[in-house]
Amino acid sequence: MAPVRTNGEQLQRSVDQAALVYLLTGFAVFLLMGLLGLAMRLQHAGWLDLGPRWFYRIMTLHGAGMVAGVLLASLGGVSAVIAPRIGLSPRLLWSAYVVYFLGSGLVVLATLVGGFAAGWTTTYPLPVRGDWPVSATWGFLFGYTLVAVAFLLWCLAVLLGARRRFGSLANALAWPVLFRRPASGERPLPTGPELIATVVALDGVIAVLAGVVYLVPIFAQLLGLVSGFDVLFAKNMLFLFGHTLVNLNIYVAVALVYATLGAYTGRSFKMSFPVALAFNLVIVLVLLPYFHHLYQDFAQPLPLHLLGQFGSYAVGVPAFFVTIIGSLGLLYGSQVRWSAPVIFVLAGLWGWTIGGVAAVIDGTIAVNNVMHNTLWVPAHFHSYYLFGAAGFTWAYLFHRLSGVEGWARSVAARRLAWLYAIGAGGFVLAFFFSGLQSVPRRYAVHLAEWQGLAQIAVPFVLLLVVAFAGLLLMVVRSVPAAWRLPAIEPAADD
Amino acid sequence: MQSGAAMLFLLVTVLWTAVLWWVAARAGAAAPYERVSPVIGRIRRLGTPAVVVVLGIAFVVSLAFLPYASSRAARLGEPTVHVEVTGRMWAWELSQTRIPRGQVVEFRVTAADVNHGFGVFSPDGRLVTQVQAMPGYTNRLLYRFDEPGVYTIRCLEFCATGHHLMQAQFTVE
Ligand SMILES: [Cu+2]
Repeated sequence: MAPVRTNGEQLQRSVDQAALVYLLTGFAVFLLMGLLGLAMRLQHAGWLDLGPRWFYRIMTLHGAGMVAGVLLASLGGVSAVIAPRIGLSPRLLWSAYVVYFLGSGLVVLATLVGGFAAGWTTTYPLPVRGDWPVSATWGFLFGYTLVAVAFLLWCLAVLLGARRRFGSLANALAWPVLFRRPASGERPLPTGPELIATVVALDGVIAVLAGVVYLVPIFAQLLGLVSGFDVLFAKNMLFLFGHTLVNLNIYVAVALVYATLGAYTGRSFKMSFPVALAFNLVIVLVLLPYFHHLYQDFAQPLPLHLLGQFGSYAVGVPAFFVTIIGSLGLLYGSQVRWSAPVIFVLAGLWGWTIGGVAAVIDGTIAVNNVMHNTLWVPAHFHSYYLFGAAGFTWAYLFHRLSGVEGWARSVAARRLAWLYAIGAGGFVLAFFFSGLQSVPRRYAVHLAEWQGLAQIAVPFVLLLVVAFAGLLLMVVRSVPAAWRLPAIEPAADD
Repeated sequence: MQSGAAMLFLLVTVLWTAVLWWVAARAGAAAPYERVSPVIGRIRRLGTPAVVVVLGIAFVVSLAFLPYASSRAARLGEPTVHVEVTGRMWAWELSQTRIPRGQVVEFRVTAADVNHGFGVFSPDGRLVTQVQAMPGYTNRLLYRFDEPGVYTIRCLEFCATGHHLMQAQFTVE
């Protein structure tokens, strides 16, 4: 694959270094936020007492930090994968990083020092009605704004780069493959990761706009310009922003599966009709399921509820049959070189699917009426996030640092990866069973009869701690070499 | 409802774990991709319509069990008991706390400050139904209680420091 510019190699190296910083910062944030998660589960188990104020602060930071950290890491990874052809500038990546970092810093200060504790979702009007100083609300929401701006910068850079490279947005979205037309002129077709990045960037712009529509009136209210606004409209914008962002993060991570799995199986995802169709459908489908957060807002018009159920059912189908079944096809009979990245991808396929099935169950309005806001909900998104968005991203990180034949293939690394899979599996299953037991989510204090499952979850979280502590050591040791050398060619894209 | 969801979920989890186990066990062996690839194509061509049909049926069937007022009124009948409910940080206010069993009750649920969740837990601790309590809106939740006993209302929408303490009770007799 020829570099776009004459100084392409130098540029690619700068992009790789920025990407590495994204990945490592995200990994560090993920680990710290994970420890906060452990503290919360210890409290649920009755083995720790932080008091409700600190519990809800930590809960707010845990959610916001996980989303910001994992998103940052996966954006870094996918930037390195798509940069050779789409041509992301290192300067843009570094600028976005600084903005992102400032935003995240504000979120940390607002929760830990300011006492902001409205949950990462900050459902209006709670941010302006909580029992914390208004400065904490300012800090938190302004921090979010900066993070959103950084993400928007990345999205715009990808869209512009993709248009430049592929001649039009239609080409970047693989429409010639979709409509079985020959590609226009000598323009190339996007690879899987390039197509996914374009889709994510498109929907990312929409999500950020929804975030702006959500945040601006809150700022106006904080400034005393308006006395308040409609809570139902606010909730729609909030979840169009938050739910979409989190879902997009999983697709970003899927691009990293495409870039990782090929190296260990010697097989590659081809840009084909099913892949093009799936990700073009995702453009629309990923915007619909957010309505399932509002099923119990009976005031919402019925057609929107039904649209939410349709979207919740439909969004999983292309992902399952294209990415998940396709990945299993890459693995089967491939004489795979077992290593930590492969195990993380395999576990990710497990958890992503389980989380998807749980989402379909809970995305059914009739069932949602007895499951909504129980621990079933965090069970479902922790499956998506820990296995999917984060797991796939760490698979790429380990691959990036180790290469096919490096430390990630060692017995120790593989054992730690299995430990992660078991820890994560037990941890989310305990959440699911708690949801079935009707345990409410976001409770600082659990009744005695709810504590059992949290007590079962804690040892599994400790397995996660051990697994990630070990992998962290291996990661740290391999960073200096990776910093100097260019990234390994992503074997999966062709 | 929860036990049905549990069974479906467990079944899928066990099956999916077995499928991945099977693939993983055969990942180390050699099978040419030219032979694997058509099988994947066939799984996609046959599996996608099959799953779409199953989901379509589930979608249609589930519409008969919507929790919304008009839907429940059609199944249970028009309400004969009316309870006004207001949620505020961090307490519930109910216009009455004794509810006759076997009759259709209408909870008219709103909130005074922020969003709350009106979750009704049965005497044995199961969540039986819920609706959001929203400032500026009144949501109508219809339900018929056939089992007597003390029911607990728990807040199911996060509302900061006192969220987990936001409870009330009513008796079905
Ligand atoms: Cu409440």
